Amino acid sequence: MEYIALQVVFLPLLLSPLAYILGKKLGPTITMWFAFSILAYCTLLIIHQFVVGDYEEHYVWTELFGEFGFLFDGLSSIFAIVIYLLCTILALYSKPYMIHKFQENFNSLESNEKQLGSNTQSMIVTISKTEYVNKQSGIYFALYLVFAMGMLGTVLATNLIEFYIFFEVMLIPAFFLLAFYGDGDKRRISLMFFFWTHVGAVILLLGFLVIGLNVGSFDFADIDESKIPNNILLLSAIAIIIGLGVKLAAFMFHIWLPYAHGAAPTPISALLSPAMIGIGAYGLFRLIIEFLPNAYHELAIWLHIWGLVTMIYGGIMALMQDDIKRLFAYSSISQMGYILFGIGSYSVLGMTGAEMMYITHALGKGLLFMTAGILIVQVKTRSISKLGGLASKLPITAVCAVIGALTIMGVPPTSGFMGEWMLFYGSIDTAIDQDSPLRIIIFSLGLISTVITMSYMLWMLKRVFFGKLPETLTHVKEGNWYMLSPMIVLAVLTIIVGIYPDIFLNDIVPYMNEITTKILNIN
Amino acid sequence: MEQNLNELTAWMIWIIPFVAAMMMPLIGRYSTNIVGYVASGFAFLSAVTAISFLPHVLESHEVHNQVLWISSINLKAGVLADPLSILMANIVAWISFLITVYSIGYMKEDKDKVRFWFWMMFFIGSMQLIVLSDNLLQMFFGWEGVGLASYALISFWYRDKKQHHVGTENRAVLGLIEYYSPTHAGMKAFIMTKVGDIMMLAGMFLIFSFAGTFGFRELIDDTTWATNMATNGLLIPAIVLLFGGAVGKSAQFPLNEWLLEAMTGPTAVSALIHAATMVKAGVFLVARLGPILFALSMTGILADQFFEIVALTGAITALLLATQGMVNMELKKVLAYSTGSQIGYMMMALGMAGLSEQFVDGYTAGFFHLMSHAMFKASLFMAAGSLIHVVGSRFMTDMGGLKKSLPKTYIFVWASGLALMGAPFITTGFWSKDAIFASIYESEHVFALPIFIIAVLTAIITSFYTTRMIGIIFFGKRSDHITKMEESGSNIHEVDKIMWIPYGILAVLTIGIGIFGLTAENNIHDMFSEYLDHSFGIHSIHTINNEESEFFDNLNIIAVVFSLLAFIVGFALGYIFYIGKYVDPNKFVNSNLVFYSFHKLILNRWYLNTLIYWCFIVYPLLLIRRIWRYFEKTVIDLGMNNGFEYAIKWSSNIIHKTQTGIVQSYLYVFGAGLLFILMILLV
Repeated sequence: MEYIALQVVFLPLLLSPLAYILGKKLGPTITMWFAFSILAYCTLLIIHQFVVGDYEEHYVWTELFGEFGFLFDGLSSIFAIVIYLLCTILALYSKPYMIHKFQENFNSLESNEKQLGSNTQSMIVTISKTEYVNKQSGIYFALYLVFAMGMLGTVLATNLIEFYIFFEVMLIPAFFLLAFYGDGDKRRISLMFFFWTHVGAVILLLGFLVIGLNVGSFDFADIDESKIPNNILLLSAIAIIIGLGVKLAAFMFHIWLPYAHGAAPTPISALLSPAMIGIGAYGLFRLIIEFLPNAYHELAIWLHIWGLVTMIYGGIMALMQDDIKRLFAYSSISQMGYILFGIGSYSVLGMTGAEMMYITHALGKGLLFMTAGILIVQVKTRSISKLGGLASKLPITAVCAVIGALTIMGVPPTSGFMGEWMLFYGSIDTAIDQDSPLRIIIFSLGLISTVITMSYMLWMLKRVFFGKLPETLTHVKEGNWYMLSPMIVLAVLTIIVGIYPDIFLNDIVPYMNEITTKILNIN
Repeated sequence: MEQNLNELTAWMIWIIPFVAAMMMPLIGRYSTNIVGYVASGFAFLSAVTAISFLPHVLESHEVHNQVLWISSINLKAGVLADPLSILMANIVAWISFLITVYSIGYMKEDKDKVRFWFWMMFFIGSMQLIVLSDNLLQMFFGWEGVGLASYALISFWYRDKKQHHVGTENRAVLGLIEYYSPTHAGMKAFIMTKVGDIMMLAGMFLIFSFAGTFGFRELIDDTTWATNMATNGLLIPAIVLLFGGAVGKSAQFPLNEWLLEAMTGPTAVSALIHAATMVKAGVFLVARLGPILFALSMTGILADQFFEIVALTGAITALLLATQGMVNMELKKVLAYSTGSQIGYMMMALGMAGLSEQFVDGYTAGFFHLMSHAMFKASLFMAAGSLIHVVGSRFMTDMGGLKKSLPKTYIFVWASGLALMGAPFITTGFWSKDAIFASIYESEHVFALPIFIIAVLTAIITSFYTTRMIGIIFFGKRSDHITKMEESGSNIHEVDKIMWIPYGILAVLTIGIGIFGLTAENNIHDMFSEYLDHSFGIHSIHTINNEESEFFDNLNIIAVVFSLLAFIVGFALGYIFYIGKYVDPNKFVNSNLVFYSFHKLILNRWYLNTLIYWCFIVYPLLLIRRIWRYFEKTVIDLGMNNGFEYAIKWSSNIIHKTQTGIVQSYLYVFGAGLLFILMILLV
């Protein structure tokens, strides 16, 4: 088959106007199935390509930047599968959640209208609730498709400028989705999100430009570390790491994340958190470890420490949260710390573990955010202190939430354990290899911090699902199947990957072996 | 062909319960009443599979079968069925079968049967996975699996009703109330064992880093890894870390506190998980690793420190928990203390085994005690479950004088209680405890004397608190609680057949095997010495003499005398206070300051629990709250977010002010700028 990459990246973009029109004319259900089938088709193509093997496509672009290409290998195809898989099943989940949200928006607009009095003429008076919902669902799914495409493009790009473009493209729909359909102080938060991630992107671009101008080409294939003077190399690597660190929401650059994830509509939080911020990790693998091994060699220990701090900090902040979505947001920070920890581990298995953590986090955190969404729709609250004993009312949700929590905690047989043990093993292995007491200390603290992860997750479960059922919640009903079936899919997947990780490991390990041999040659 | 069949059977032992677990929800849709019977049937099937394996393993030593698991890093999954694991698998399988039968009756009126049975089956599968795994990583799957099942079953009654709590309401120790709900207890157990588990993981990683394998067989076959580790000084840390996992799971000091709260679960669960099987996983791990390490000592790498740590941990735990068992008023908690303390004995035996010349003696003693303890403690717990069920209260003070109303339970509790006390010559408990005493005494290590003293002291205490327990429950006057119950029309009577038969069987077995205790012990001893010789090359000095020796030659006179003495002293003290009631225990405790303060110390659990809460929960949370308030909320949020916002606003204001619209000032600035540039150019 040809043009696979072109299809999977641009099909959603090209068809997104159609989604808008469909939504306006025919309503949310058909639009949802439309978006779902596009994404499902693309996901199947990617999975097909993943099974077949590594694959590249190149197209002529401008002379200035080089070629416009797409690459599937042991790193990118796994990110691609995870991103599109989540996008596909979250499309299903979006329908009931977003209809709920549109109606809520409509009602608040209507009540605003009444307060303002009858002399102000606005659009609300002229359209009915159904029309409003139809139109909004059109906008939502159109933006949703563009968002998906932006994320996918970033991980498939083969050119620095292309990478940067997609990196920014995914921000725009995310910004609008947040600004239109968020909760709370959504305008301010969406600006904040846009601003900080944009700052990160600009720093990233600076790094790219330095590298590109020194090398003389922006194509990944042409990047050669030896062409860059040593002092500049380190600086540009740091710029790239900081740029990606903002996306990863690593410690000190995590300001935007709790706000954005807390305020975004839940399906989007479930995409932002596992899929989007993890792209920072992808960037670190591709741009730092693969292309700038010398810089990585210098900086690995700092990434390791940074990862450790992020892990612990995210975890302890999660302990302090009452808003369930903010709790998961801090937990995401902590999980990104794990990934950073693995990236800094300087060993094949450690990095493999970090990539497994991306998959795991997508599955686990996806499940947990969907749980939060069900709470918002069915219980109409997200404050943990008002919840309790819901396991009896929401049995399927509770089971999925427990599986999600176990995945994040890294308890076998969920996929979390497969990521975690490799990650930590990689860390200690390097410590022994290099005979470095510092690394041993970092390893021990990292392992201890898994107890923090466990504490906040179990405590969350206890406060939400166990204990006495408050009298206000006796009427609560289980969510509908549009919301539950995506959760069940993820719950089953996490256990399958946990028991049989070869599905992904067979592709990850050779890639990691390849890039680490480069690093090991330095010594 | 036969070999293939055997390999398949070995896999089946642990796969069957998992299949059963998966089936539970499906059967539950059809009818919730038959779930228990189906689960029991599967447990029976697994048990039959296990026992059908026994003769084969005893003949040809072991079955080891591997399949490729994680191919990319060349890890294999496998089963290793050697005498140790098959014996353990049989204990687990049969005890769990009996407990599942008991649970059918126990859980008859519960609504969430499907969940209960799912986790019970999941637990049995995970436990068998631990036992039969041929490598550490796969074992860790089972290890966490039992932890998960334990968490789920401790907080089984997740609605946190009052009758399911443990502890005394409003009773504060050092400012913290020791009264825990099921969900709290489950969380505590999971997190505390996790602390052990991460140590175990670290140990596993260290070994894997040097050996490149997790497999037990591979670790025995090629010992260069140990040499390398020993030269780096990492061997002892690695195995001590592995032992950390055992400490957590087996509730040994200092990670012992979760076991007491674990009693919030249904009693069937306490019997299965927190007495007979899961807490033995740690002992099993030591039994798995012990021979490997002892075999190393023959190649010149000494692991003495490891065995010393094992023995000391066991000794401390045994004494620490036994003392607390003397004063507690909650029936299940007394049994829980006793469980931890008895596991301490097993650890002592295994540790001392490694320190003595005759490894197999201590090894057999530890394992024999594991077997006999599994039987009598499961029986005691099930009986306790019936008592609590009948009386409707977990406090022994609410019982009293039940001898006549529950005659069968009374007899069975005596039988298994005597085993726990180590009543001479007829109970398994006596023989296994005696074997431990003997192995400690014979080890001739520096630690032998202090540990021997602790062991005897603990035996006295054990005998005392068991007598006390039986005395309070069955003797004396009926409590107010029971009188009230009878007045309101409810009749105190024996529980269903399906409940008393399982613990009856175990109680009878304890005595039955006890009568032939020495023969049983000798058989196990022979089996293990052959196994250790064959698989690890550890030769036993005894084996050669054994066949010609007289029956009682194996008995160590000093050990027998001391275990007899311990039994008699403890029983007599218990009789004086609680059965004969010659002295009032309350008055006795309050009679002088020493007794009073000691009583308070052990009643407050040596303050260990409270200290753990203060140091690891309360203060850290306070600190985190500070960080949250002054760092995250202030520095990050206000500083970076709002700070940036204000900076922009401020600069916009300044720029805004310059836009005055007055031509003169614009010209002035323009002129000044021009002058400035000119000056730069000139210079």
